[in-house]
Amino acid sequence: MTQEYFLEVQNLKKYFLAGKPNLFSRKVKHVHAVDDVSLHLERGEVIALVGESGCGKSTLALTLMGLEKSTEGKIIFEGIDITHADEKAQKLLRQRIQMVFQDPYESLNPTQTIEEIVAEPLVVHHLTPDLEERHARVVRALEDAGLKPADIYLRRFPHELSGGQRQRVVIASALVLEPHLLLADEPVSMLDVSIRAEILNLLADLRRSRQISIIFITHDLGTVGYFADRVAVMYLGRIVEIGKMRDVLENPQHPYTKALLSVIPVPNPRLRRERVILQGETPNPIDLPSGCRFHPRCPIATEECRQTDPPYVEIAPKHKAACLKI
Amino acid sequence: MEAQLVEHKVIAKSSPFLDFWKTFSRNRMAVVGLVMLVTIILVAVFAEQIAPYDVTTSANITSRDIYKPPSAAHWFGTDDAGKDVFSNFIYGARISLTVGFFAAFISIFIGGIIGIVAGFYGGRVENLLMRFTDVMLVIPDLPLLVVIVAMTKPKLMNIIFVIGLLGWTTTSRIVRSQTLAVKSRKFVLRARAIGAGNMHIIRHHILPLVMPLLVVNAILVISLAILNESTLSFLGLGDPTALSWGQMLNFAFGRGAMSAGAWWALVVPGLGIVWVVLGLTLLGHGLEQVLNPRLETHHLMPGRPVVQTEAGNSSPILRSARPVLLEVRDLSIHYITEGKPPARAVENVSFTLHEGELMGLVGESGCGKTTLMLGLLRLWPAAGQIVGGKVHFMGRDVTAMSEQELLDVRWDGISIIFQGAMNALNPVRTIGDQIREAIIKHVAILPGDKVDDRVVELLDLVGITADHKEHFPYQYSGGMRQRAMIAMALACNPQVVIADEPTTALDVMIQAQILELLDSLRKRLGLSIIFVTHDLGVVAEMCDSVLVMYGGVTAEYSDVDTIYNSARHPYTQELLKAFPDLSKPEKRLASIPGYPPRLDALPAGCRFAPRCPVAIERCHLEQPALHRLNGRHVASCHLVEE
Repeated sequence: MTQEYFLEVQNLKKYFLAGKPNLFSRKVKHVHAVDDVSLHLERGEVIALVGESGCGKSTLALTLMGLEKSTEGKIIFEGIDITHADEKAQKLLRQRIQMVFQDPYESLNPTQTIEEIVAEPLVVHHLTPDLEERHARVVRALEDAGLKPADIYLRRFPHELSGGQRQRVVIASALVLEPHLLLADEPVSMLDVSIRAEILNLLADLRRSRQISIIFITHDLGTVGYFADRVAVMYLGRIVEIGKMRDVLENPQHPYTKALLSVIPVPNPRLRRERVILQGETPNPIDLPSGCRFHPRCPIATEECRQTDPPYVEIAPKHKAACLKI
Repeated sequence: MEAQLVEHKVIAKSSPFLDFWKTFSRNRMAVVGLVMLVTIILVAVFAEQIAPYDVTTSANITSRDIYKPPSAAHWFGTDDAGKDVFSNFIYGARISLTVGFFAAFISIFIGGIIGIVAGFYGGRVENLLMRFTDVMLVIPDLPLLVVIVAMTKPKLMNIIFVIGLLGWTTTSRIVRSQTLAVKSRKFVLRARAIGAGNMHIIRHHILPLVMPLLVVNAILVISLAILNESTLSFLGLGDPTALSWGQMLNFAFGRGAMSAGAWWALVVPGLGIVWVVLGLTLLGHGLEQVLNPRLETHHLMPGRPVVQTEAGNSSPILRSARPVLLEVRDLSIHYITEGKPPARAVENVSFTLHEGELMGLVGESGCGKTTLMLGLLRLWPAAGQIVGGKVHFMGRDVTAMSEQELLDVRWDGISIIFQGAMNALNPVRTIGDQIREAIIKHVAILPGDKVDDRVVELLDLVGITADHKEHFPYQYSGGMRQRAMIAMALACNPQVVIADEPTTALDVMIQAQILELLDSLRKRLGLSIIFVTHDLGVVAEMCDSVLVMYGGVTAEYSDVDTIYNSARHPYTQELLKAFPDLSKPEKRLASIPGYPPRLDALPAGCRFAPRCPVAIERCHLEQPALHRLNGRHVASCHLVEE
């Protein structure tokens, strides 16, 4: 029964303390950033995690990275339970799991050269005491990230590069450790459309050439099609729909997925279509709505949705959604 | 590819140090301060060579030499012991500076460590250290100095230590707040993600960014230490064997220089102190400006006067049934900085905006689209200048208007929804208050309650309920802030609203909400909107016409259907290909290799040629003209020429 996955997340919860009990209220309040998320990933697989800001997708990534401690649940990576890994084990894990951040303008230290930035992981992990080997690995990582020839970039500073080039540097510094799993947190949302395609293609190529598994976090369902095998749609800390990319894009079941799909801009005025624009924004994850957490914004919610928290319904193999209306 | 390599070489030369030196040498205050300081340091170092007399011996001195006025033999007279004041001054510089530098070093070291540790580790450590700092800060420095020095032996070493040990409080506070700021930046999180430990992060990521501040602070601490030493010596608590400037003052004052009328014995050391402190202060302030250029005014301001030129006689632009609100003809805007080639941010751009029209202005970052929009209102950073072309708003020429006349156009006629709603709102004032301000500034006398009614009306217009009126920007979500910005732009009933990337930082769903709102406002209020974006997909949903810019020039301009279904410029075509198409998700995304040109180093031929997949030789040599294809459709490409 228990199949061993490359990465398995079981009932993961991450709550942040929002208010301590005080004179006026005895209640301890929590932000339910990640609320009972289970998912698994196979080697070389790409899964896209989609949702609006505040849905907990970035917190989930940070928890997987070990940068946030989980409140409950289990994370099993390459057969080992890493939920409560100590500092030493964490450091070793960092060589296997790397992360690419959203904002390439902020995630590079302006006082370091590109070479220093990309070499930093090697220095931190004492991997290459030999300077020449270190240099060679930096050059290889930069060229793999599409900065060719690497020589012209090594001595430069982040402010001399464009946004797309900086994001490539961030990717290179994640690649230099040759990780098995890459967490990409909105890697293209700050970039111009013309540059986005390049970065997405780069990630797709890396996955093919290096067999890296990627968790691709985005708010834009439009960009996931290109290389995700599976898509998980998150809302308020929970996965509301998960399935194979084609299944989710072509046969979305959850009203939230449908709405997200309908607002993807279509670059052709002849194809203007009916959009489902949800009113309001993701509610505050401190006081979760009763029943289905999506019901206050759901266009098809009924009384039943206010009461019952919907269980997952299997629509097709590996395709399930949490909605009472399926 | 070649053009790209050349460009790399041009920028590869700059390094932070060179950049720093360039700005530094241009800052007059810093240079004067540095020269003053270096002079006095050289004097101190070469005291033996410079001083005309040896101050260590009293040989050849008689009682007649006491308090001699300035003469050829003693330029600044003699002191109470008959010694040469000028020589004393030179040797005194050595001691005063030694005390200053060493004491400051101790202060900076302690203050730096406490500040970084408190800021970086936070929590209980921070609380403890900062409360300790507060206590130290509250105790008056000078009396404590006096007490401690009086209790210890008045040796120079002791004085240095005492001054150093008491002078770190301000440094630690400044360093702590800077550390807090740096700590929250994303690259520190990135360093954690690669597995770096605390020490590594402090050394490689915190310290380099705290350093500039530390240097500026050190300079001010040095001057404080020198002043403190002088005060102590003057009070008679200095090391009697070390004749610092303060000690000179002390001796002169205590031994009757005033009654003997020997002003020189007091003025010379006094001037020395003033010289050093002034030099250090100038250098400190200068450095602060150099290292933190944001202190300089860099806000939008009325640009330089317009260089009047005849507008080019390009063929008339298609008329539509609706009246023309805004007509831009061959507008060119350059950024002119002395000693650099001008950045040709906008060149020969023309477009026409009709009443109720929604135009999309599309281009990559740095293509000049924001400059063009600010140019319509003649607002941009000081170096900007309209060097050609005309802007007609409702028949009036904006480029020929006086500043006074422009005030009528700005906000009343054309208003802007700025990019990044959080930065464009004042965090310490309520949203209602800020909208009220926009109304009062522009609409002639409205009674108070009428203004409030108008605020509520505006908020309602953008879908914010009245009970959110008195909330602060931080209480608003991203989408609501953007709505508030729109309300503010509508405050004076403008005819034209420029929306500068209003949805860029927002989620797709909120983006859709804002787009829907703008579209409905256009219909309800009859607004004309210029929607600036880098995303062709966004504008397809609602625009009437689209202007695609590349590297400061018009690439293509036409009605929306033509742009998306029969684009002629290769850049437009490539942009459309780069779009994810959900119906064919497995298809590889087309991308445009290379990067947009720098506006101060433009290629000789077509600006898109280095990245163009279909460029021919002519494209690299000759700039293409704007070709009219039919009606409103124009494209600047050699290949459309037939």
